[in-house]
Amino acid sequence: MKRKMTKAEKTEALWGWFFIAPTMLGLLILNFYPIVNTVWQSFCKTGDFGRGNTFVGLQNYIDVLSGSEFWVSLFNTFKYAVIEVPFSVCIALVLAVFLNRKMAGRSIYRTIYFLPMVAAPAAVAMVWKWLYNQQYGLLNHLFGSSTGWISDPKIAWISIGIIGVWSILGYNMVLMIGGLQEIPRDYHEAADIDGASPIRQFFSITVPLLSPTIFFIVQTRIIGALQQFDLIYMVMDTSNPALSSVETVVPVFYRYAFTYGNKGYGATFVILLLLIILFLTVLLQKAEKKFVFYN
Amino acid sequence: MPDVFWMHSNVAQKYMENDLLLKLNDYISQSEDIDLANYYEGITGIYQLGDAQYAVPKDHDTVALCYNKAIFDQYQVAYPDETWTWEDFYEAAKAITDAGQGSTYGYSIDVGNNQDGWWNIVYDYGGYVISEDHKTSGMDDPKTLEAMEFLGKLIADTMPAQSVISENGSGTLFTSGVTAMTTQGSWNINTFYTSDNSENFAWSVLPYYDQNGNGTADPGERCTIYNGLGWAAAAGTDAPDAAWSLIEWFCKEENQVKQADLGVTMAGFKGASDSYPSAFEGMDISAFLDMESEGTLVVRPCSKYTTNWETMMGETLVGAWNDVSTMKDACTKIAAEMNAQLAQE
Repeated sequence: MKRKMTKAEKTEALWGWFFIAPTMLGLLILNFYPIVNTVWQSFCKTGDFGRGNTFVGLQNYIDVLSGSEFWVSLFNTFKYAVIEVPFSVCIALVLAVFLNRKMAGRSIYRTIYFLPMVAAPAAVAMVWKWLYNQQYGLLNHLFGSSTGWISDPKIAWISIGIIGVWSILGYNMVLMIGGLQEIPRDYHEAADIDGASPIRQFFSITVPLLSPTIFFIVQTRIIGALQQFDLIYMVMDTSNPALSSVETVVPVFYRYAFTYGNKGYGATFVILLLLIILFLTVLLQKAEKKFVFYN
Repeated sequence: MPDVFWMHSNVAQKYMENDLLLKLNDYISQSEDIDLANYYEGITGIYQLGDAQYAVPKDHDTVALCYNKAIFDQYQVAYPDETWTWEDFYEAAKAITDAGQGSTYGYSIDVGNNQDGWWNIVYDYGGYVISEDHKTSGMDDPKTLEAMEFLGKLIADTMPAQSVISENGSGTLFTSGVTAMTTQGSWNINTFYTSDNSENFAWSVLPYYDQNGNGTADPGERCTIYNGLGWAAAAGTDAPDAAWSLIEWFCKEENQVKQADLGVTMAGFKGASDSYPSAFEGMDISAFLDMESEGTLVVRPCSKYTTNWETMMGETLVGAWNDVSTMKDACTKIAAEMNAQLAQE
């Protein structure tokens, strides 16, 4: 038999709900409702001003999947992720190890590397856009070249990837420094006595013991990279000749949903992206059991 | 939605067909201050659906040619004037480009410089962008194609690489002295008026295309695309009478004259813009008014979903800008895609 709550318990439960209400309401209104609505819209031919939506079943999905735009943008998305994730993780790991030692100016270096994370992504994109500018950019000025860093389809995706790595490096580094400080000193001291080289120590002690942190970063960065929007939106103008070889899925979604006002068709792009990210996350969770070493 | 706001040709049809705008016919017919015959027909027409009038013109704009006197002097090329045909324009731009050896160019427009760029050339050649009933594309019309072939010549021989134009914008390339000429809309005058090198800048009317070969610019040979905002009210407003009285106030002759007087913009009321040039002391911008007296006004191409085909048009033309031999294919492709989009409106 279910026990009735006492008055005090009721009051406590009520207060509990009261305290989580702001977060709950925020999540429901700002996250949950839009998700459900987006899923619904992807099955609709949406009308102007959110009125007159007609259910069309899977038609949007058939159109999106049979066109080339989704596949091209998905390919571009992975091209971006392939640069951003490995480089930002590996460089951050090396930086973290160096900046975890006792050295002069340690906190200054840490601050410098973390600074890009503090700057607004849109501002970062604008500064890089000017560095890359073909006519007036600092890069071409330094090299005496006239390279179209962001408008030559062959290299634009790498240029964009570099901005991505630069922006996220400090964040990954700080997380890794946190992870490094969790590793008990005994292991390295014992290895020192046994005569293991610093390189050997790095690969046999540091990396395995840091693997939970590395895994967390890799997983969140893969998801983040696949959702890339602001860099492309800010740096690549619609008349940029390299746009079609750089444009990722989310900017294409934005173009359909907000420039063309075709919300149903646009929603289909992000729902498909969501499914792909979900699938990858499941795979990664499986991989976690295999590759991650928990103390 | 606010009670009173500006409408734009890009979206007016969409708003009108969805019954979001207050129908103004009764107010206009009872008004002492507003007679639609006093306003630019093209702008009035943008805000009409059937017999219903949904906005009163607020302003209008035209397009003119801005040139950098210092560059023309340096390369000893004669300044543009009203006798210039597009062919003369090409020759001058090419002379500057050739002499400029990769650091100075004659002209630049990007794919998106349509109203302030290549659309004007299309209409000068007798071509069109969209049919008057907004049902079909004119991008594969033979005369349009002729104009676009000429545009291809301009792109190939007188402009920097499209990637450079795209990254900087044609206005910036002009103000920083990379290009000698730019075509600009009157909404942009202030950028050039307040620019660092503005003492070198001067304005002229757009060149014309001599369709009949008689040596003068006849009607339809010197076109300027024009557009104008309209004052509109929300269909669901609680205070339609008050909303109308505000619209009436903004649009009556006295205040239209004041709008031009203050240099805000050229008026939607015909003949109310004469004092507009005097707002730009030290720079002669009368070319924008001359475009009306000496040229032909063509209302900005639009339909229910203007932005959709306008964006598609720009994206498709990027290829043609980078390889002008594909210009005709690009235009044909645009026409097909645009017709498909218009059929669904």
